Amino acid sequence: METVKKMAILADSAKYDVSCSSSGSNRKNSGGVGNGALSGICHSWSEDGRCISLLKTLYTNNCVYDCAYCINRISNDIPRASFTPRELADLTIDFYRRNYIEGLFLSSGVYPNPDKTMENLIETMEILRKEYKFFGYIHVKAIPGADPLLINKAGMLADRMSVNIELPSEKSLRLLAPQKSKEKIFKPMAQITQGLMQIGEEKGKYRFSQKFVPAGQSTQMIVGATNDTDLSIISLSQGLYDNFKLKRVYYSAYVPVNEGPNLPALIQAPPMKRENRLYQADWLLRFYGFKASELLDQDNQNFDMDLDPKCDWAIRHFDFFPVEINKASYNEILRVPGIGVKSAKKIIKMRKFGKIDFLGLKKLGVVLKRAKYFITCNGRYSEGLYIYPENLRNRLIQKKPADMQIKIFQESGL
Amino acid sequence: MKILVYENTFQGFLTAIYEAFYSLEKPAKIISKFDYLRDFQLQLDTEVVEISVNQEKADKVYNAVLKKISTGTLSNLYYLFLSSDFDKGILAFYYLKFAFKKGKYTDNYLVDENVKPVHDIVWKVKQEKHRMKGLLRFKLLDNGIYYAAFEPDHDITELIAPHFSRRLGDQFWIIHDLKRLKAALYNKEEWIISDLTEKELPPLSAKEIEIQEIWKKYFKHISIKERKNNKLQKSFMPVRYWKHLVEKEE
Repeated sequence: METVKKMAILADSAKYDVSCSSSGSNRKNSGGVGNGALSGICHSWSEDGRCISLLKTLYTNNCVYDCAYCINRISNDIPRASFTPRELADLTIDFYRRNYIEGLFLSSGVYPNPDKTMENLIETMEILRKEYKFFGYIHVKAIPGADPLLINKAGMLADRMSVNIELPSEKSLRLLAPQKSKEKIFKPMAQITQGLMQIGEEKGKYRFSQKFVPAGQSTQMIVGATNDTDLSIISLSQGLYDNFKLKRVYYSAYVPVNEGPNLPALIQAPPMKRENRLYQADWLLRFYGFKASELLDQDNQNFDMDLDPKCDWAIRHFDFFPVEINKASYNEILRVPGIGVKSAKKIIKMRKFGKIDFLGLKKLGVVLKRAKYFITCNGRYSEGLYIYPENLRNRLIQKKPADMQIKIFQESGL
Repeated sequence: MKILVYENTFQGFLTAIYEAFYSLEKPAKIISKFDYLRDFQLQLDTEVVEISVNQEKADKVYNAVLKKISTGTLSNLYYLFLSSDFDKGILAFYYLKFAFKKGKYTDNYLVDENVKPVHDIVWKVKQEKHRMKGLLRFKLLDNGIYYAAFEPDHDITELIAPHFSRRLGDQFWIIHDLKRLKAALYNKEEWIISDLTEKELPPLSAKEIEIQEIWKKYFKHISIKERKNNKLQKSFMPVRYWKHLVEKEE
């Protein structure tokens, strides 16, 4: 088969994987081609508005598993293709030298077994790293069930590794992916975490320690294919950040690609708004010091679709406010809706040199439309502002053009 | 209305700022010669003073900023100079006037009217610099040189050249700014900036079209049609940059 045809088939099979990040690695170019860019670089954006940073492809879309939600399951009648390690390595280099990509995102269907699959991925990476002296970014999937030695070997070659959790609960896994289990998925994950910690210790002892997934590990969950709640999803995320030291958890709105008794109907649109709320909550966990249990609880197990999680929290904890911009700590300021990490840092930096007023906040980029209900500047609320807590929720809900778009999109049933 | 016109180099820019500080009548505008020649309205003005480059004066400003203010402010000044903003000269003058009063804390006055406009422009230049690290596209010519044409808003060729000399250090390349007719040329050891008006290219290498076809195919197939969102795509990747993107060619 021609490479161009393989590319079409295997890109189609790989596109439901969300992660495309190329950040976190500063691998140097020592006498070959490529290097890491710590903040990551996006090279293009596809028509769905997602960034293209890495050449995201499967090694093969042949798969022995029959996971209900997956386009590549064995029972699907779709065109199948496989690269060879050489072919894929060549393509990566040819794309990289033209500055199309930041590196390679290497995943695969499991075929004929986990070990052989992992070996194929390792061989591709070895050609790139050793033969072609490629120092660009490589993100590789750890295949659950593969020999720990192979996982370790892959970690020595890659910048980031990930194991997909796929579904947020054991029950859902049993329902839709009976050949996978929580244990099988968490084993390689724990191994990567351990490897990372070990390298961290060695770094203190030796001048040159080997690199082991320097950009850390990430994972992905499918949202909306099962009836798991947002609470169980973000509680799981929090556990992964705290215990497994994950760099990122990705959420993927389920796109119905298959029919099945346990699956949502084919005509259902992907739950994009819900995915968006989960990402907002995820940011609150990682950068704003929130805990999952603060955002949702047994009485509210799912996010409000009309209001972002931060606004929602603020309304439910109105006694926490107002926050005085000129005195409050960084963490307190971060809790204000309409103030992000950047603005909060600017506020701290700027107020050393003079009092900040509402005009100043506006110039800094604070979204006063939301923030004004929760802050005072020099002891005063924004001029002419009356707050009726019972009415606050309605005030903060705004229909944005983006919501409209999703609505039209859902109504058209595409 | 007094207008200073400077030669379009960083030294020329700094010389003009020096003259602005030491002239009794403060200038209303400080304009690059490049902009001046394109603006016929300005040319009718009688009080135009052309400033020629004076290395000594330029050095004085440079060193004063370094000693009395900060390297951050100096770097902002340089990014400002590389921007295509028409008013950058006079903005630089008021920025520095403020900076010589506030010293090393100048850039903490984020919302001051002398500082914010400069920071905003610097941000735009840095934003484009970062974007172009991703959006630049090289084509392999049959003489073995990787050639990339682009038309950036700001004069960022020398800002991105170091990145590509580290990254693509083992290949010959040219980064060609078609707007300003200048280019960065790299010979696997070092890069230089040179004028380049030539628009006729040597033929592409035999393999080039094949690789481009695979890339276009990949670009098309990696998108999820159920999530189509052209508006989002355009907000990340402004349409003005599409002209030189292989994946956006028909």
